[in-house]
Order: sequence, then structure tokens, then C-alpha cells
Amino acid sequence: MNRRTKNKRAIGRQLSVLAALFAVSGAASAGIYNDGKVLATGGVSMTDGAGGGGITPWATITGYETRDGINGDIHYTYVHLPSYDLNSGGVAVGLWDRVELSYTNDSLPTGSTYDTVGLATTTVNTALGGLGVSALDTGIEPFNTTVRMNVFGAKVRVFGEAIYDSDNLIPQVAVGAFYKVNSNKALLKTLGADKSKDFEIYASVTKIFFPISTLINLTGRYTSANQTGLVGFGGPDGNHRTFRFEGSIAYLLNKGTAIGAEYAMHKNNLDGALNLKVAGLNLDTTNNPVLAGALSTLTGPTLSQKESDWRDAFIAFFPSKNLSITMAYAMLGNIVLTPHQDGYYISLQASF
Amino acid sequence: MKISRLMFAGLASLCIAAPALAAETTETAPIPQEGVGTETYPGIPSDTIEKLGGPAGIKIIVDDLFYYILDDNRINQLFISHGKVERQKALNTELVQLVLGGHKQYEGASMSAAHGDLGITLTQFNAVVEDAYLAFEKARVPYSVANQIIAGLAPFERDIVTR
Ligand code: HEM
Repeated sequence: MNRRTKNKRAIGRQLSVLAALFAVSGAASAGIYNDGKVLATGGVSMTDGAGGGGITPWATITGYETRDGINGDIHYTYVHLPSYDLNSGGVAVGLWDRVELSYTNDSLPTGSTYDTVGLATTTVNTALGGLGVSALDTGIEPFNTTVRMNVFGAKVRVFGEAIYDSDNLIPQVAVGAFYKVNSNKALLKTLGADKSKDFEIYASVTKIFFPISTLINLTGRYTSANQTGLVGFGGPDGNHRTFRFEGSIAYLLNKGTAIGAEYAMHKNNLDGALNLKVAGLNLDTTNNPVLAGALSTLTGPTLSQKESDWRDAFIAFFPSKNLSITMAYAMLGNIVLTPHQDGYYISLQASF
Repeated sequence: MKISRLMFAGLASLCIAAPALAAETTETAPIPQEGVGTETYPGIPSDTIEKLGGPAGIKIIVDDLFYYILDDNRINQLFISHGKVERQKALNTELVQLVLGGHKQYEGASMSAAHGDLGITLTQFNAVVEDAYLAFEKARVPYSVANQIIAGLAPFERDIVTR
């Protein structure tokens, strides 16, 4: 299947989900439809599709519905980094401000870094072919390798009132889960990930402190993801999920503008080598200096997969209940083979 | 390793504490004592009334609030049908001063007594909040000061919204 048909299928899938959602919203216009939240209090959409900040899910339920009805949004996020571009688009619904369901498709064209690795492995393959060994399937094509991941999310608000309980410190609490399916199995194997699909669960606590116009969110996410799952789950030691801390702080400048910062802990599952498996033989580059050498001369000295925690600083605009625009400076550190992946992030959310 | 174990312990205790905490959030919000104000986290600064232009400034904001409420098709029918707008304006001017820690007597009903039978939804409550922000803007109240009033009145949501 060539890339273009793949793209078309992905878009087709998104459109059918959209159509289903509009059908729901059509049926709902009989009275279930609701957009009664105060401006900006629906939050924005994070890269996994859940309601929250940009990289962290919050305890708030997405959309502008109150407990009196349902609402939803479509969202698109573009992150531009020196070596990668992330496109993330999806849909989410909020039901009675209690339950949230979301679907997002992440697509990450990897640019020149992987082209180099792709060329390198093609070269190695040619050499191995000459030795009568079957070819390596690294999942990296010589040009334009694109990582794709589908993220299905659900969140339930458990208790608490984030906004109006200004006279106590009890936050709004929600628990949620993501099921992430990364479609680039071969590439993830090459990079050393244990699994290409896995679930994550999280608990978030969110509270607005009105006297200081500030929102604080803390999240614990139980996961084994490498770069949110874009580089699969787990590593050479297996798929070990752990709790990771995430946090967001937002200051409301006015009723339609918020600024803030976020942090998400990541883990270092893949620090080590690329795994190149040939015909059952594990040509781990740590045990194979020749292959490692061959790859590193072709790709430069940075064959490290040390993963960094993610950070961002953002400004979000809410011109109306139908639109939010978030701009951020994302500091994602080392990603797979490339250090210093800091860049900009823009996210649009349309609510209906 | 240590952090994740700590987080797990935190989350586990949160889940155990959840029912108790949930019960607490349904507590009623009594009208605060004179000179004390609503106890919020963090507290409302003592100069907020001054920043709003004193009692006269607060009266103007409340008058504007009712102007926006009566213009707001989402909620105005309810206010018109009860026909007590002038009384509500006067009482709300007192109440706002009281929740901000002012020395002002409030001579009206408790929030549950005044609203308990009206079947007010959270959607309607939020509409009043949105109208309040319009009134703050009209009176050139800075957003950060406006949120002191919102903080002071917000706990009444538990008594006012009954559906
Ligand atoms: C924090 C928000 C609110 C505050 C501080 C507030 C305050 C008050 C006060 C002080 C009174 C007069 C009580 C008395 O007559 O003794 C009142 C009455 C009333 N309020 Fe509210 N209120 C709030 C929200 C709402 C909302 C959301 C609605 C409806 C959408 C509403 C509808 C009414 C009506 C219709 C009355 C007149 C009831 C009657 O006298 O029969 N209020 N409110």
C-alpha cells in the first residue's frame, strides 16, 4: 500500500468519526446539547486528544457542556521541532461534564534524521545481501518515514468542583485512560521498543484559585510510553509501566486569555542501542561494534536514545466558545537520535 | 522508583479519601459574618472593596450586572417573573461587600432559602457569572480584582444550583 492511500484511509477514518459525532450533535439539538460552561473553563485539547493543557490531561471534562448536557470539539495540533513535525488531529465529546471520550490521530514525519538511518540500513542491507543474509527490516524507509499513532481516550470525573469551591482546597478529580496503537511496528523494533500498542491510565487533580486567577493541575500517569508512544512502549528490558508525574500551571490574564507552563516526566526505556534483528539474530549495536560503527559513521556521533522530560510554556486564546488557539514553546529535549528538540506548538480547538 | 511509589501511595489514599471529601463538597455556604468575608484559598485581599470604588462602586457594578441579566435571553424570564429586581440589586450590593470582608449588614434571605425552590441549573448560574464579567468590564474593573468577587460568591453555587 503506498503512502497516499494510507493517508487517505486515515483521513477517511477521521471523517467517519466526525460524521458520527455530528449525527450525535444533531440528535442532541433536541435539548441535550449544552454550551453552558464559562468561557475558557473547558480547557484546550492535549496532543493525546484529552481535555487539558497541551501535553497533560486535566481533571476537567472537554467541551463547553455543564452537567446539563453534551458538547464536543475537534482539534488539530502542529508541533514544529528541528528534526520532526507532529500533526495531531482528532475529536472529543464531553457528556454531562462527567465523561469524556476522545480519538486522535498523531502523525510524525521524521525528516532528514531517519532518511540518513534509512540510507545507512539500505547500505548495510546491500552489504548483508552480498553475504547471503536476509535483509534487515528496520521500518525506516530511505526517505519520508512517518510514524502514525491512533489514540483512544476516556476520562471520568470522579468528584470535586474545580471552579466554584473557592472556600476549600478539594480539587476536581478525574481518572482516565488512553489506548494507543502505533502502526510502525518494524521501526519501533529497530529503535528498541518492546510494544507498539499499549494502554496508559492516569489520575488528574485540577483546581482554580480565583483570588490569584490561577489554575493548577497535577497528574499521575501509569505508562511505559517512549515519547508518548510515538516511539512505542517499554524497551529492551520489557514493558514496565510506572507512575510518572505531570503538572500544569495557568494564570488567567483575562476571561479569554491564559498563560502558563507544563511539565511531563518521561522515562529512559530506550537508552542504549538500536536493535537490528536479522533472521532471528539480534544484531544489537552494543554487542556489534562493527554495525554500530557503520551506522554512526553514516549518521554522526549522536546515536543515543536518552529521552528527556517534556516542558512547555504556552499562551491560550479563547475568542469565543467555538474556538481556542494555543501557542507554545515546546522543550522536548532529546528525541530518539536527535538532541535539542525545542520548537513551537500551535493548537486549534473548535467546539460545537 | 521512589517517586512512583510515592505517587501510587498518594493516589491510593486519594481514592480512599474520595467519598469523605465528596460529601464535604455538598456542604452549604452560609452568609459570612460581618468583617470576616468568605474564607477562600488564598484569602481575598483586604483592599478589594477599595479597589472596586467602595460601596458606591459596588452599587454601580451590581446595577450593571442586572442590566446585563435582564438583557440575557438565557435567564431574564426568571428574574422578570419574580419581579423583585430592585430588592435583589440592593441586597446584592450588601452581600458583595460582606463576602469581601466589609462591615455591612445583609438583610436578605440565605442563598438556599432565596433560590432553593427555583430549580436553577448550573448552566443558568454560569450565565449570571458571564454577565458579571460583562459588568466588571463595563466598570473597568481589572480581571484580577473581578475574580476576588467571584471567589467570594462562588461557594454559594452549592446552595443556588439545585438541579
Ligand atoms: C452567586 C450568585 C448569586 C447570588 C449572590 C444571588 C443573590 C441573591 C439575593 C441576595 C437574592 C435576594 C434574596 C432575598 O430576597 O432575601 C436573590 C434572589 C433571587 N435570585 Fe439570586 N443570586 C445568585 C444567583 C442566581 C441565579 C444563577 C439565578 C437564576 C438564574 C438567581 C435568581 C434569583 C431570583 C429569581 C431571585 C428572587 C427570588 C424571590 O425573591 O422570589 N440568582 N439572589
